[in-house]
Amino acid sequence: MKELAQLLIAKREASVIQNHAVFGAVAQIRYTDPIATLDADVLVAVPAPDRLDVPSAINELCAERGCRAEGEAVRVGAWPAHFVPAFSPLMRDAMEQAETVDFEGVPLRVVRADHLAVIGLSVGRSKDRTRILSLLESGAVTRSQIADLAARHGLSGAWRRFEGRFSDDR
Amino acid sequence: MTDDVRELLERQARWQKSRKALSWSEKVRLAEAIRESILRLREAREPKSSESRAEPAPTRR
Repeated sequence: MKELAQLLIAKREASVIQNHAVFGAVAQIRYTDPIATLDADVLVAVPAPDRLDVPSAINELCAERGCRAEGEAVRVGAWPAHFVPAFSPLMRDAMEQAETVDFEGVPLRVVRADHLAVIGLSVGRSKDRTRILSLLESGAVTRSQIADLAARHGLSGAWRRFEGRFSDDR
Repeated sequence: MTDDVRELLERQARWQKSRKALSWSEKVRLAEAIRESILRLREAREPKSSESRAEPAPTRR
């Protein structure tokens, strides 16, 4: 993960990306128990999102640093990493408001727990629902924080359905 | 629930709580170890390519 943090710094210095933040399971681990995951997901903002050659610029820089493609991911140190453009207002918000954390001496941006939960709400797979429950159980986020953020991103209905299914009062 | 079982569950809960309190980098290292185990298990389950390609032994008639 340290190698990934260093690669992300290099990408920003080379202006290949403008911003980034780790999300998904690796980000969740910051707030909960360690969980099983096979890869690392990174939100990225690229200088010209409409340009088609941006993914290749990302891959070229990875290759220059000795990282090889592994399916849809790029192997960085121990982790296959997926670089996901922040394509929605929720994703952009999550990336811009991410926290910078010291990771073994290297700064690494990581999405906040409330954004992780609401991204999970927007995706809605079983593992996303489990993530929301884990984040709530760990105390990293409250139900009202999720409700507020979900409302800002038009996900109040999805949150109500989640609450109806997983409320503590039932 | 017997006292032994209750004590066991309490110990487990304490251990889980202490694991949650680890630093992010330590927890990522644990996740890396879990990941390696999963990959090894998957490899062990998949038939080796030489086995899948092996032709059946000739039978004597």
